Amino acid sequence: MTEAPEAPDPEAAQAAIEYCYAQGWSDGLPLVPASQPLVEAFLATTTRAPDEVIGELEQVGRNCTVYLAAVNAAMAGCLPEYFPVVLAAFDALMRERAARGGGWQSTSGPAPMIVVNGPVRHELGFNTVGGAFGPGFRPNATVARAIGLIVRNAFGIRPHVLEQATQGLPGRWSICLAENEEESPWPPFAADGGQPEGVSAVSATLLRTCEFVDNRHTQDPEQVLWDVADTISRTGSLIFRDTSAGVVFCPEHAQMLSAAGYAKPDIQAWLMEHCGRTGADLRRAGKNGLRGPARFADPDESADGTFTRILPSPTHVPLVVAGARNAAISMVVRIFGEWSGTATPVGVTP
Amino acid sequence: MPYQILDPTGTTQAAHETAAPPRAPRRADLRGATVGLLVNTKQNAAPFLDEVGRLLQERYGATGVLARTKVNFAAPAPEDLVKEMTAECDVIITGIGDCGSCSASAVADGIAFESAGLPAAAICSDAFRVTADAMAELRGAPGYRYATTPHPVAVLTPDQVRERAARVLDDVVALLTA
Repeated sequence: MTEAPEAPDPEAAQAAIEYCYAQGWSDGLPLVPASQPLVEAFLATTTRAPDEVIGELEQVGRNCTVYLAAVNAAMAGCLPEYFPVVLAAFDALMRERAARGGGWQSTSGPAPMIVVNGPVRHELGFNTVGGAFGPGFRPNATVARAIGLIVRNAFGIRPHVLEQATQGLPGRWSICLAENEEESPWPPFAADGGQPEGVSAVSATLLRTCEFVDNRHTQDPEQVLWDVADTISRTGSLIFRDTSAGVVFCPEHAQMLSAAGYAKPDIQAWLMEHCGRTGADLRRAGKNGLRGPARFADPDESADGTFTRILPSPTHVPLVVAGARNAAISMVVRIFGEWSGTATPVGVTP
Repeated sequence: MPYQILDPTGTTQAAHETAAPPRAPRRADLRGATVGLLVNTKQNAAPFLDEVGRLLQERYGATGVLARTKVNFAAPAPEDLVKEMTAECDVIITGIGDCGSCSASAVADGIAFESAGLPAAAICSDAFRVTADAMAELRGAPGYRYATTPHPVAVLTPDQVRERAARVLDDVVALLTA
């Protein structure tokens, strides 16, 4: 009989966790107290200098260094080897205009959506199949959480103070998809962001919400697309002339579309053509008028019969494949602002 | 304890500013003053500030208005815009802060003009007091005073906007004068 390893002192652990709460560092859940040796293990996974500034929020006079990102990633529960993915995710997010501007302070309380591609998914044990939006898997859960802690602690954007989310949204700091490349019929999402296939890369944007499209009802791919278009076109999400909505297709929908000859650009073109509302629909919801890019309630009925398209370019319709091949359920992801259209390779200084 | 628990905020090393909060000298009144309106593109901000400017001329003897638009409502006004308005104007009104980032930045702009030597009145919706106060503290001006108007502003009709502008007018004048 081998001797069991000595269990850590639970009271010491509890005291350390409570200490972190008392400092105001937590997002509400317990943190892993970060120590120098732990953070050094994170810093050892990158060639980037600890004092390199990786993000700046000019309006609040705060920035994030590689070192601060490491402390927050450690606290989030990441393993040190996840750190290059955290850095790539943060770099990708800081390419988003909304994230550099007022996004983190916004009343909409947007959630980062992080998409991981390439061999790093399996090397680090990311969930690439069922339950893609979580929870249940340490790399997916903690990489996303690390971003939230960086925003809270390094940028100092805290709820009710500089963060003014009206309702926020479920999953704000927990959406990290590892694309199901094995069951996707299309090139990986990172390829749409300019990275060669086979390279580990991270893409990211901000979401206002996720909305499921459950269509296990037809073998006709165009009917599925109409179902997706109906969700994308709902008036509640329209605030400007243009909008941006991606689709995270489940493998079953993706394979059905691909078998019918749809490549990603075909689907993007189809959705750009068919997503929108009539002037009458928009007027009914008080969103038919345009003042610059902003919608407002215009009593003018003259455009009631006109169909208005809302997706201006393929970049406004990013397409990802994630989840299990066990039901035909896809997700419309409602993008805050516009995706940068780029992917960031893991382990590379931008 | 062999190791310390590390601070994830990076703020402990930062030097704490102890300088007095910036505050420009106040005028006795607004007679002859050129009023700068820094409009942040939020819905109804332009008509709201235009009406404040008009009333300041009609009722308080201001003699001119210079309206400028800040393209990025989430960020503080660019330096050259602050410079231009400081050169051309005697007092500044910024707004309308009615979102998470723009209310904070409207206050940041007010403080920037105070530093540049111009009395400024930021106008925010009353739903954003906490974030406006937090920004004032970040800019070294804890307790910075600004004017508020009831939330919401974006959905108001033109008549309601004019009525709101009239209601906030006395507060704006009090902020700008001694």
